[in-house]
Amino acid sequence: MEEILLEVNNLRTVFDTEYGTVKAVDDISFTLRKGEVLGLVGESGCGKSVTNLSLLRLIPEPPGRISGGRILFKGKDLLVGDEEEVRLVRGGSIAMIFQDPMTSLNPLLKISLQIAEALQLHRGMGRKEALAKAAELLKAIGIPDAEARANDYPHQFSGGMRQRVMIAMAISCNPDILIADEPTTALDVTIQAQILELIKSLSGENTMSVIMITHDLGVVAGICDTICVMYAGKIVEKASVDDLFAQPLHPYTKGLLDSIPRIDAGSRKRLYSIPGSPPNLASLPPGCPFRPRCDKAMEICGREMPPETSLGDAPRSVRCWLYASGEGGLE
Amino acid sequence: MGAARLKKNIIALAGVGIISFYLLIILVSLFWLPFDPVAMDTLHLLEPPSIKTGHLFGTDEFGRDILSRIMQGCSVSLIISLGATLLGAVIGTLMGIWAGFLGGKWDHLIMRVADILFSFPSLLLAIFVMGILGEKTYNVIFAIGIVYIPQFARVSRGAILTLKGNEFVKAAFSSGASKTYVLFRHLVPNIMMPLIVQVSLSLSVAILLESALSFLGMGIQPPYPSWGNMLSGARKFMLLAPWTAIYPGLAIVFLVLGFNLLGDGLRDLLDPRLRNVK
Amino acid sequence: MGTQVEATPEQMEELKRLFGEDKPIPVLYIEWLGRVVQGDFGFSLRTSRPILPDILQRLPLSIEITLFALVLALALGIPLGIAAALKQNPLTDIVIRITGLLGLSLPQFWLASLMVIAFSGVQGWIPMGNYISFAADPIKNLKMLFFPSLAIGTGLAAVIMRYTRNSMLEVMQQDYVRTAKAKGLKKRVVVIRHALRNAILPVITVAGFNTGYLLGGAIVIEEVFALPGMGRLALYAIYQRDYPVIQGIVLLIAAMFVLVNLVTDLIYAAVDPRIRLDEGGR
Repeated sequence: MEEILLEVNNLRTVFDTEYGTVKAVDDISFTLRKGEVLGLVGESGCGKSVTNLSLLRLIPEPPGRISGGRILFKGKDLLVGDEEEVRLVRGGSIAMIFQDPMTSLNPLLKISLQIAEALQLHRGMGRKEALAKAAELLKAIGIPDAEARANDYPHQFSGGMRQRVMIAMAISCNPDILIADEPTTALDVTIQAQILELIKSLSGENTMSVIMITHDLGVVAGICDTICVMYAGKIVEKASVDDLFAQPLHPYTKGLLDSIPRIDAGSRKRLYSIPGSPPNLASLPPGCPFRPRCDKAMEICGREMPPETSLGDAPRSVRCWLYASGEGGLE
Repeated sequence: MGAARLKKNIIALAGVGIISFYLLIILVSLFWLPFDPVAMDTLHLLEPPSIKTGHLFGTDEFGRDILSRIMQGCSVSLIISLGATLLGAVIGTLMGIWAGFLGGKWDHLIMRVADILFSFPSLLLAIFVMGILGEKTYNVIFAIGIVYIPQFARVSRGAILTLKGNEFVKAAFSSGASKTYVLFRHLVPNIMMPLIVQVSLSLSVAILLESALSFLGMGIQPPYPSWGNMLSGARKFMLLAPWTAIYPGLAIVFLVLGFNLLGDGLRDLLDPRLRNVK
Repeated sequence: MGTQVEATPEQMEELKRLFGEDKPIPVLYIEWLGRVVQGDFGFSLRTSRPILPDILQRLPLSIEITLFALVLALALGIPLGIAAALKQNPLTDIVIRITGLLGLSLPQFWLASLMVIAFSGVQGWIPMGNYISFAADPIKNLKMLFFPSLAIGTGLAAVIMRYTRNSMLEVMQQDYVRTAKAKGLKKRVVVIRHALRNAILPVITVAGFNTGYLLGGAIVIEEVFALPGMGRLALYAIYQRDYPVIQGIVLLIAAMFVLVNLVTDLIYAAVDPRIRLDEGGR
């Protein structure tokens, strides 16, 4: 087993709103090993993005606030100490790319300069050297005529190319971890595949770990090693990608998998959709948040949140009373 | 629905409070003033403010009581600002509605004229209009009113154009409503709020413009008191008797602030985007 | 105003012929424009002096005050606006808002009067008929024009402060600011290089738009401080019904407006690559 790079323990992030305190991330724990590609999956609003912004302390405060937990990166807690210490990790050891490449680049600055900035800061390069390296990165990332286009502005690039620029920017300082927040959602389907392929190959070449946030299980199946399924701010199931697709445990995971159209299932079968809609995080019911939509709900589900139950090999665990000690287990 | 939110809006409420105070003063001044505002008193020239003499804000270079003159000037300022704003609002809004509703060449013609007027500094425009019309009190209303025509034309045209694109207007047309019906039933009521905001902000500028014109000797003519011409008279003596310049100016500042607070608060109520940012 | 003696009809005819006013107005107007294009603005009715040299002699001072006021308004408004945006909380919000509205509510000429009252004792700061041109002594000149410019610029400073604040607050929530933070840049760099540049765009428009308002203010302020600028020329021309002079000044102000708009557009284009013409942005 590779060494553990990042260890998140009992992370909690809340937002103070006029309707009360919203627990966007509620008691989340996971680990990320060197070279591992971890998928964070769930419907929109389940806290995936907040989790990842929390990792680099990029939650807008106020109204947001990290209210508890630890984020150990190479053994050091990123939540302890002032922001200045995390700042040097940002973009250097842990880099991020975001969902919407159209709005994630500064419209007033040249592409090359936006990439060079990080190099100057984290690699101590001079301006000239950094700009040259930026052009080189653009070329490596598959921008045609990279030398000339480095001096263009974002509005002169298409959406797919902008996402490539974002990736070039993120990998410019050879980060240990790349956090990709729905990197393909805003792109055309054909471009999506290219971008995913690019991320996959980069992680392979550079032994870079990746946290891939997505609502698309197809994306996960293609490139992830491990998967965390999130629901209402909590991780409800963790498993290796093979285990998860072969034998989903949590009713929510099962629902998600059943709602993917499959070629092999025959066209006659109707697509499943999970009844109901995601709960309002500001007024969660007691017990398991999935209970109102769950077809296997039991009496205890309405009273208490199920604990994390480890099953089988290391990453495999689930938070559901069906599997909690004594009550269920693998069927 | 507006009243409930208005209650929460301290800014607009503060504006209403200040304006009401001035209205109260006007009411009082109609029946009673501490001294005759135009009576000269050569025994008490440029006297400093004092409770003993009864001249709470002091006297001016002719021995006239400054407080009484400020109180009297209140109604002039308000009447002129109201007159000018209404003049500009009515003509400008009609032009804007006409341009926005009919579109085409009328729109172009009206808006180009408005642009030309608009591109000129408002004070200069008012000064030049006064220069042409002559320094009469009622001309001040025209001079300031002309400044406002393009502004109201723009606001109302913009509002009409936005509304015209809305589904409910299209629905009204498609269900066979006549143009006039749609205009008065659907469009005009919906542009009232932006217009009210504009009126409030315009009133504040009108008071400033009137006082500037009077200060330059082109507005209200002495001996009738206006805040602007009081400040004009104070110029020669303000080093010797600062109170002649300070109090009339404060009277202007607070009334203008009142209208600005009201307009700004109302704009908040209107603009849901701003409400969230705040 | 002035002495007015009735003229006999014969004298009137003679005068009209002398001033070329026996033709219809449109013809007169076109003739006047034709001469203006050649730099001939005609003669003052009062002083009989050629108009253009008189205006040009006074114009630089009015432009200087206007620009000085603009610089002061930007120098006050932008930093205060940024500070207000970065220190955002309910208390500073309301203080900034009321300060901003108060700044808008101050009559420029009254502010000028207060400055005269407060600083007339301080040597060299308040000009009182002893104007020194920039060419003669730049330091004394700027010192002398500081308060007049401040009196004009305060209102615009308040407007710019509010615009900067609102614009900054909006920009700080943009995705590209988050990207900049995620790169690990210092807060100062994020604010200045990434946020401010974007936030300043609407401020440029507002500042350009209000330069005319400053020019209007300059006219009144020149009167308060007895400065020999174009404003005083304009006022006396109006008092004395010296129409050719008024016409000339109106034309020049209109021309300056066109110029200011052009400069605003150029600055905007220099900051925002999306609207540069040669690249035909989207």
